Amino acid sequence: MRQPRSQIALALVALLLGLLVVVQLRAQQAGTGLETQSSQDLTLLIANLTTRNDQLRGDAADLQRQLAALDTARAGGETSLGQLRSDLERVRLWAGIDAASGSGIRVLVLGGVSARAISDLVNELRNAGAEAISVGGVRVVAGTVAAGPPGALSIENTALGARIEVLAIGNPASLTGALTRAGGIVAQIQATNDEAQVEVTPLDGVVVPATERALVPTLGKPRP
Amino acid sequence: MSSLAGRLRAIPTWQVTLFVALLALGFLVAAQARSEAPRVRYTTQERAPLVETVVGLQAQQDALKAQILDLRSRITASEEGTVGSTQQVRDLNAALLAARVAAGIVALEGPGIVLQLEDSQVSVPAGAAATDYRVSARDLQAVVEELWLAGAEAISINGERIVPTAAIVDIGGSVLVNSAYLAPPYQVAAIGPGDLYGVLAASPGFVDLVRARVDPFGIRISSAQPKTVTVPAYAGSVTLRYARPPAPSPTPAP
Repeated sequence: MRQPRSQIALALVALLLGLLVVVQLRAQQAGTGLETQSSQDLTLLIANLTTRNDQLRGDAADLQRQLAALDTARAGGETSLGQLRSDLERVRLWAGIDAASGSGIRVLVLGGVSARAISDLVNELRNAGAEAISVGGVRVVAGTVAAGPPGALSIENTALGARIEVLAIGNPASLTGALTRAGGIVAQIQATNDEAQVEVTPLDGVVVPATERALVPTLGKPRP
Repeated sequence: MSSLAGRLRAIPTWQVTLFVALLALGFLVAAQARSEAPRVRYTTQERAPLVETVVGLQAQQDALKAQILDLRSRITASEEGTVGSTQQVRDLNAALLAARVAAGIVALEGPGIVLQLEDSQVSVPAGAAATDYRVSARDLQAVVEELWLAGAEAISINGERIVPTAAIVDIGGSVLVNSAYLAPPYQVAAIGPGDLYGVLAASPGFVDLVRARVDPFGIRISSAQPKTVTVPAYAGSVTLRYARPPAPSPTPAP
């Protein structure tokens, strides 16, 4: 009597054990984090991914055209120096090596804000599609960080003072909208600091200087 | 039957097996429960198509990025073979490579560190905000900034290169970098000098981060110093729709 019952118990435990091992392994392998997202977040994520993929598709099409034009020029024995020059100009502008101009906005930040406020503002501008940004006359590239105690901030060894001018090139309406929406970054800065004042002005012509940072890596080597 | 050996022999082997199996079961249940906290897992039926859509879109995105990287390398190869005054072409190509490296659209490898940030394993107390126990975009932004200040020259998060236009934003408990969806654990790879970790660990900003996030909420930060760190190329848009060279240009680009 005892023998069969024990076998059933063992079989059940073994079954459960196997199931748990698989579930645990899957949870660790998958690691997409998707199972932890709510339906609302997933919908938001889908919208984001769709926009991003459309963008990338456009980029791929642009590159395809560029490549085709290069190949045609080569086949015809023409010089494509012009294309090389325009490619160089675009990459240098985007990287911050050259000064840039265009429509955009000016954001005046007054009242001794924190370094984090400036960092959040720059992040919001990037998220809203800004193509070039400067803070206190310093071009913001990947490694440009504002630091220091509130009221005595500096950025790349330039003191920022109490009146900080942030310039951004991009669509003036979308940049302004992203900053000034309810609960947006302007509201957040003013909520955390009573003395802070933030003025956003759309502009037709904004000029952002070139970076003074050495962008050529000394330790990292290009990977073929 | 009074001796220990005798008593042991009296226990049937199936009981021993069952005991061991149950012990393993207990461990697994505990491990499972721990790995669940503090994130809630949703298991409702209507989410399955949404998850499938996301997975599909992500696969599309990976393919598009691979296509872009491939097109870029073919353009570079084509440009290098451009006809014309050879010296002029050589100069232009050298300038292009330098600009691409500076822009972050070329992969780099070199010495450096990898920091890993993971969600807390502490179960969220009643009334507390679950988001405090997860790695946020703010946490990653802080780590990236402290790495730049400590002397890093190139950074990526889960393979997304930090470029001049890179925004780091929260999305439902995970993070978007360069509009790409990233899930924890977050691995921040940085190329930099040998003392990068030492400088980082001693910096007031990093100490503040640990004090604010690791100590009270259990956000986990670990680091590794591999022989070489690889920071991948940015595979997104380098298209400008609003920015132009300032006119009139006093010195045209060489």
